[in-house]
Amino acid sequence: MSLSIIAAVVVAGAVAGGLGSLLGIGGGVFLVPFLNAGLGLDFGIARAVSLMTVIATSSAVSSGTAGRRLINLRLGMLLEVASTVGGLAAGVTVARLSDETLSIIFACVTAIIAILMITRLEKRNVLEEDADPGAFGGRYYEEESGRDVVYRVKRLSVGMFASLLAGAVSGTLGIGGGILKVPVLNAWCGVPLRAAAATSALMIGVTAAASVPLFYARGEVNPPLAAAAVIGVLIGSRAGLWFGGRARAKWLKLLMAFVLAVVSLLYFKRALG
Amino acid sequence: MSDEQIGRLEVQLGRLLQAGVLTSAACLALGLVLWMASAAAGPANALLTIGLMILMATPILRVIVSLVEYARMRDWFFVAMTVLVFGVLLATVTLAVLKLRAGS
Repeated sequence: MSLSIIAAVVVAGAVAGGLGSLLGIGGGVFLVPFLNAGLGLDFGIARAVSLMTVIATSSAVSSGTAGRRLINLRLGMLLEVASTVGGLAAGVTVARLSDETLSIIFACVTAIIAILMITRLEKRNVLEEDADPGAFGGRYYEEESGRDVVYRVKRLSVGMFASLLAGAVSGTLGIGGGILKVPVLNAWCGVPLRAAAATSALMIGVTAAASVPLFYARGEVNPPLAAAAVIGVLIGSRAGLWFGGRARAKWLKLLMAFVLAVVSLLYFKRALG
Repeated sequence: MSDEQIGRLEVQLGRLLQAGVLTSAACLALGLVLWMASAAAGPANALLTIGLMILMATPILRVIVSLVEYARMRDWFFVAMTVLVFGVLLATVTLAVLKLRAGS
């Protein structure tokens, strides 16, 4: 492996991490196609390296938000039961999937993410009610409005199912899966967007940890590549957070939805062509 | 368990995650520099492996600390949930170690 590939992976990691934190999703959905389709690495290696960056992102983001009560530890712990089962199931079975099947799944998931991004262009946290949060609900202080936001969790079974699915997708494709469960938690389970995002960010680390040791044992975690990607993503997500305050995410979301649509087409073509 | 206890746990877990990600990033960065300089293959590989191990272990450690804290708070429902998550992680790690052993 040459130095230029390592340098390219650091840069790609930084771009993916930066976009990820600006858009509020992990960078994996950009990193995997770059490593796989861009650099020509095996999908298995791209997935394993990307999952390493998912863990790094999860730890870094969660240590940044901890203490603001945005992370719902109770809800997270419960949903992690489902998401880790999904991750482990993917880690065990994924070796049996052919490249064509993986390409089709990746194409479908990137298409779904692109659509989700477009439909959620204007999505903001609007939920505010003054109620007892219940066993799984939460309460946090919102700086913009200057008061406590209290929420109750509804339809836990839907949240559990979404987490199981997100865990399986995470282990199969090497992405965090937050983009798949945050909208569900927000729209169906009554969790405010910020709390859903912070809780999901905590969950994706342990979800990835339920599958990536299996890929490590299979020799798919290439150490220098993984190191380069992790360092790139950590730098990029830090920079993304720094710019996040001033940048308007709307045009960026549109642009990235377009990029994901192109990636989706590329993988459909790979599977069928 | 009170909001205050949960808030404390959140801060505690945040510190753990930060320590994990910083230590692992330091090992990975140093290992990568050594690897690129191709001066010291042994130490470079060791540092990269240690960095990746710490990275994978951090979320697992977070679950263990949560388990201990929920037990201290006597919140048995969450002790049970945490035990389940830990059980899944243990199954993953066991399968991975078995595979590594079979391969070597």
